[in-house]
Amino acid sequence: MRMRFSQIFISFILTVLLLIGLEIVTSTILPAVGWKEYRLTFNVLIVLFLALRLESPLVPWMILGLQVVHSVFSIEGWALGTLAGLIVMTSANYLKELLHLTTAIMTMLTVQLFQVIWFVTVTVIICLKISDFDKFPLIVWSFIPGSVLLSFLSPVLFWLLEQIWRVPKEGGPRGVEI
Amino acid sequence: MKLIQESSKTKIVSNIIVAIVSFYGISQKQFDLGQPTIFHRVVTEVLAPVQESLASSKKSFSSLWQNYLMIVDTSKHNQVLGKQISRLENDLTSMEEIRKENLRLKKLLNYSEELPHQKVLAQVVGWDSANEFKVIRLNKGTKHGVKTMAPVITDHGLVGYVYKATENYSDVLTILDQNNRVDILVERTRTHGIVEGVFNFRCTLKYIMKNEPVEVGDKLMTAGVGGIYPKGIKVGMVTDINKENFGMTLSIDVVPSVDFDKLEEVLVLIPVEGAVAEAEVEATTVPVTSEETKK
Repeated sequence: MRMRFSQIFISFILTVLLLIGLEIVTSTILPAVGWKEYRLTFNVLIVLFLALRLESPLVPWMILGLQVVHSVFSIEGWALGTLAGLIVMTSANYLKELLHLTTAIMTMLTVQLFQVIWFVTVTVIICLKISDFDKFPLIVWSFIPGSVLLSFLSPVLFWLLEQIWRVPKEGGPRGVEI
Repeated sequence: MKLIQESSKTKIVSNIIVAIVSFYGISQKQFDLGQPTIFHRVVTEVLAPVQESLASSKKSFSSLWQNYLMIVDTSKHNQVLGKQISRLENDLTSMEEIRKENLRLKKLLNYSEELPHQKVLAQVVGWDSANEFKVIRLNKGTKHGVKTMAPVITDHGLVGYVYKATENYSDVLTILDQNNRVDILVERTRTHGIVEGVFNFRCTLKYIMKNEPVEVGDKLMTAGVGGIYPKGIKVGMVTDINKENFGMTLSIDVVPSVDFDKLEEVLVLIPVEGAVAEAEVEATTVPVTSEETKK
């Protein structure tokens, strides 16, 4: 199924608004109620949805746009996440015959797998930037609790994003072409 | 067939362009000092007030949960009475919170009286949304006198320094962050070292030689070297020393003086040029006796 440009634009704006809402939850509401040690990186989940469910030359640009919005809430910036998103998208393209996000458990497992790829990419770049690979296991380990929780939340968030992007269930495992 | 090939070509070109842009962005990225772009300034100024109002309604969230949602199953009469009690308890809690806040602010101001800096009192309104960075957002910015690289403290000790500031908000790189390195002195032995953030709200003390007599329980304070932090601010306490590594230096765990779990208000210290220079001269000059002056 193909989408019109106006539809893409509206869906993208809604996705950005959803990201902003979730970033506020992560950066303000959860720390305010005492959850400070581990962050729920919802931007990763949204980028994973775009990378796994949509097929379009516009997806890299949308990932870039979402990461720019994310950089308002984090000193991580936009570039690290964009590169990680591109790597995840390329890996997903190679594995597309194997990916079937038809059940909640498959969605969770796939999301966990790609989160690991994402975090390893980001950690390698951070360690290169700070010239300290001793911290590699610590940084990767710090991602694990949050990422597991995100994987549990992924079926709900993916369902919500499917409504926003109007990805039909019968549209196949790789979603819509735009 | 031709259409499919063209589409995949566009995807590849698109990927390559975005990847190049990302690599450029990564090469330009500095994790220890940031300059907000116009986009960041505008979006932060629009969204941070939402964060601020949500952060300040923290007490309402918890009292909503404790005082209303938990009494759903009681009878109507009890509900009415319960609501009245809840309202009164809420009022009491608010008053108690105000009293505590006053005490905290008093302590904070008393603590910083001796420092020759202009002080800006700020509230924490948010935390960095990425896992690997420990950054807090404050509700004061350049309009209130906050400058980048300004040290941030509480009455318990050092919090970090201002990484980036917009007109009304600023981001602080805390000492828990791996990109923040604080030059410290061990209070008892006067040994110099570097405190660096690790994970789980702890820090590590580096570059202490194995023959240094550092012990568990030793207090650490800023050394005043490096031009960011003034000398003598509490940083943390040594909690564990590992001598079994193969290097020449010790591996030391440090717990920060500041309880970052309960961080609400902080002071941003803005250097007053003349006063800071004077204080530094006072601190470094050895007093001269009248006889020495005659000679």
